[in-house]
Amino acid sequence: MVPNWHTYWKFPGDAGIPTEINWKLPDGWKVGEIQWPIPLKLNEPGDIQIYGYHDEVLLLQEITPPASLTGNTVQLAAEASWLVCEKICIPGNANLKLDLPVAAQSAAANEEIFSRYRRSLPQNWPETKVARASWQREGNELRLTVESAALANYPAADFFPLPEPRVVVSHPKTERASDGKIIFRVPIETDDKNVSALNGIIVFGQNDNGPDRNAWSLTAPSSIAAAAPSIPDAFWKYLLFGFIGGFILNLMPCVLPVISLKIFGFIQHAGQDRRRILRSGLAFVAGIFAWFIGLALLLIGLKSAGREITWAFQFTNPYFVVAMSAVVLVFALNLFGIFEISLPQFANRGVLGWTAKEGDAGSFFQGVFATVLATPCTAPFLGTALGFAFTQSGWTILVMFVAIAAGMAFPYFLLAAQPAWLRLLPKPGPWMLRVKQLMGFLLLATLLFLLAVLGAERGVEAIIWSSCFLLALSLACWMKGAFIVPTASAISRGVVMVLLLVLVLGSGYFFIGNKFAAAKTVAYEIGHGDWQPFTPQLLESELKQGHAVFLDFTAAWCITCKYNETAVLETAAVRDAFQRHGVTKIKGDWTNADPAITKILKQFGRPGVPMYVLYPGNHAEPILFPELLTQSLVLEKLETVSAQVAAK
Amino acid sequence: MKTKLLTALLAIAASTALIAADSPAVGTNAPDFSLTDSKGKTQSVSQYKGKYVVLEWFNPECPFVKKHYGSGNMQKLQQEFTGKGVVWLSIDSSAPGLEGNLTAEQANAKIAEWKTKQTALVLDPDGKAGRSYAAKNTPHMFVINPEGKIVYEGAIDSKATPNPSDITSATNYVKVALEESLAGKTVSNANTKPYGCSVKYK
Repeated sequence: MVPNWHTYWKFPGDAGIPTEINWKLPDGWKVGEIQWPIPLKLNEPGDIQIYGYHDEVLLLQEITPPASLTGNTVQLAAEASWLVCEKICIPGNANLKLDLPVAAQSAAANEEIFSRYRRSLPQNWPETKVARASWQREGNELRLTVESAALANYPAADFFPLPEPRVVVSHPKTERASDGKIIFRVPIETDDKNVSALNGIIVFGQNDNGPDRNAWSLTAPSSIAAAAPSIPDAFWKYLLFGFIGGFILNLMPCVLPVISLKIFGFIQHAGQDRRRILRSGLAFVAGIFAWFIGLALLLIGLKSAGREITWAFQFTNPYFVVAMSAVVLVFALNLFGIFEISLPQFANRGVLGWTAKEGDAGSFFQGVFATVLATPCTAPFLGTALGFAFTQSGWTILVMFVAIAAGMAFPYFLLAAQPAWLRLLPKPGPWMLRVKQLMGFLLLATLLFLLAVLGAERGVEAIIWSSCFLLALSLACWMKGAFIVPTASAISRGVVMVLLLVLVLGSGYFFIGNKFAAAKTVAYEIGHGDWQPFTPQLLESELKQGHAVFLDFTAAWCITCKYNETAVLETAAVRDAFQRHGVTKIKGDWTNADPAITKILKQFGRPGVPMYVLYPGNHAEPILFPELLTQSLVLEKLETVSAQVAAK
Repeated sequence: MKTKLLTALLAIAASTALIAADSPAVGTNAPDFSLTDSKGKTQSVSQYKGKYVVLEWFNPECPFVKKHYGSGNMQKLQQEFTGKGVVWLSIDSSAPGLEGNLTAEQANAKIAEWKTKQTALVLDPDGKAGRSYAAKNTPHMFVINPEGKIVYEGAIDSKATPNPSDITSATNYVKVALEESLAGKTVSNANTKPYGCSVKYK
């Protein structure tokens, strides 16, 4: 080719067409596919990206003669057509003929050029210990993650796609993660949800388009294609699951205190103006929706930014847990009557706590608060529904969260719309004060749980420093209740307010900003000697040896996990059964959102912990358990396992 | 209030979903432009609201464009669908000095020579319209519905070659998209990989 002109690769990119060669061979001769050398990636004005060859290219094809030949010569003919472009494009074609003598032996010709171009062919994908590739579909983006220490040494790494004709892809982008993984993002413009991987080559070298580049061929695993369920029928079913799950959330222990107060609100309002009840009920419902929609949007945002998304992910952030602890404590103190919370617009009315005479804003924040507290509890049905939604598009996630919000809001909506049903609830009276105080203790119990989570994430020191902050916060609450009262003069109120703010901000800065931030992240104790901590390597090696493996994925903040462990997995009967069947027990701790665990959760389509998987051994298919275990279920599955293994 | 909040949030969600797109995605609003055609008239997408509009990226020197004009295929399509009330805008986004750039006179001469039947041949020497559609090829085709939404984006047909003899055996995606649209159906194959020469932007 004339310098700067180019022909195209098998996938030409945004413009151009690949060179074609049609062979006309004598009967019995066979020809293989074109073996394409690693192309250059070229950019043209207007964000046009093409893959092709400058100057010269050799397209190799293997021609196999039949077992026996007659005659002295044989003619190999081909019709080649190509497009060659610089600023303009010119199509070309040629009829080529080659007469070769038939002989028992031959001396190879043109060895230098053949060996040079053989070296520039992509190689087969290396074995998994050298490089591992995995694909994920995130909406309209395919994400290829390559884990390879070898690759990390090359400053230039790129993915050149070889999509099927019906798949329209856009320009891949390369990202290097801090842990040496390389992530290639390929926007695809094909709505077909079954497209979850592409063929292509990973090109790497010292420079983009450099002469020393190498490449590995990547073949899209066909098995991935069927991974995510995408039937519209299933969508409605999962949406219903989301609704039911949202409804059940109301009864989960972490939500009950807030919810019971809301019911009190209704009791107080009973007999009052119907409009007011409706307004307050709707404000509460709006609070629920606001949180869920906000959460959904945040998750969609994170997802489109390429982050792994999961339910209750915010609990993996220790600062979120500290903030939650503070809110829970302040709320508890309010219930005990140490101080009253007055929201700005109602300040002059001297509001008696959130529940006595709430405004619409109060109701709204109550709704938000109830839902924030709900997230560490996954209710039955919710895991399945979210597991489905997280693999789907942003819209599906949003709609799913709206369904959950609707499920959770459903009873309040009913009560607000039909105040007559309030008559079924008990009459208001002094007993409500006592129940309120009692609920305060329930919140303190929640606080203990949150502190335990912090301890698991950051160690004992973290509990101590955050407790110091909480103590200062309590003092501030007391100051507010005792001194910032309507009878005090404006000056003394102002002075106390300043002191109070200094106390909260100062202790927050010192205990949380300084001391707490310095507390080290600790690995959650995976106790009970016979559990081994999860690593992908351990699992792989156990499975390779044909062992039966039980996986338990848990987190310090996961109450369902704790229940399953105590009530099922650590019971004598189940422990015995594990031992009898020689099952390797592996436990993974997701308290700090270990990405290796996130990955395996995703493989099984689960949005978070708990997750229990039994590999029956001898390479049989894994069995996924429901979120809530029962002894009989685990024992039953363990029995079938031994039968399966024995049958092999 | 609640519905307003919901609508606002949904709008935010919808707009974030679009950031990654390359050419404006099928189903989204077609970008507007205001350019002069070879006859000196101003052409825009918005002035044809209420009608189907075809955008065809054009470069008379490109072998793939010649394939469809030399065989009379493109003219036939233009005639058939402009006859049914569809607006057909051919757009030349080649920059001055590059292949396919046309002055108004040259453009009119080409129209006469090739007996083209488009509504207008729009001149886009700065590549403004081309870049806003991320038009990559000649021909690169877009079909816009009467509401101003893109309903088809991609190739002219299914055989990505410069060879005119492939036209008869190929499926013409634009024809199918227009027929389906005019029959009130959704376009079955709304997004294909365009093929051709690169658009000659500066």
